[in-house]
Amino acid sequence: MNWQLLGLSFVTVFLAELGDKSQLAAIALSGNSRSPRAVFLGASVALVVASAIGVVIGEGTAQLLPTRLVKAAAALGFAVMGLRLLWPAEDFPPDYDEVE
Amino acid sequence: MILSDSSAPTPSQSESAIDPSQPATIPSTTPERAAPSKAIGAFGSTFIAIFLAEFGDKTQVAVLLMAAESHQPWVVFAGAAMALIATSLVGVVLGQWLSQRLSARTLETAVGALLLVVSVSLLWDVMLGS
Repeated sequence: MNWQLLGLSFVTVFLAELGDKSQLAAIALSGNSRSPRAVFLGASVALVVASAIGVVIGEGTAQLLPTRLVKAAAALGFAVMGLRLLWPAEDFPPDYDEVE
Repeated sequence: MILSDSSAPTPSQSESAIDPSQPATIPSTTPERAAPSKAIGAFGSTFIAIFLAEFGDKTQVAVLLMAAESHQPWVVFAGAAMALIATSLVGVVLGQWLSQRLSARTLETAVGALLLVVSVSLLWDVMLGS
């Protein structure tokens, strides 16, 4: 086992991901969810699968999925989720804090 | 001791230590675990959202470049996977910590704003063509 390479890739990816989109998304989805374990598993599996695809297919990922289109779709999805939370501020039932 | 019916409509003043405006039966603790179907839904939506956001992102590109250069792709993958799990854990713990400290309304606003930040950040990447 090449421990130096293992440590190098850990530190590189850890620093790159700290405060990045996917971690912000994990904060938001977890803060809004009653199932933090499920959110953690979903986020971890998604990231690990994405990087496994990167390792296996290498430069071919762009042929597998058009990355700009995928990102635009993801941006739309996050925008819809965010706006749905921000929009109906008056629709809260009076005892919302107790109900949820 | 069994209370008689006549005492029910006139609660004694000696119990006024409990604020009558506060409902007495609010459970003070939230349920630790949500229903399984909710958990599966949370897993699925989180997986799809983060997978799409991360696919073709700089981290994936960095991992594939390091994997190709090192000739030991699975060592690089192991390090990257551990780092991604660690940052997810930090994010989820931070989110839960915030959700316990902010009121429901403030939390919804904060989460909505954070999701829009993620959306704009993704659109920025699309504009730059990366």
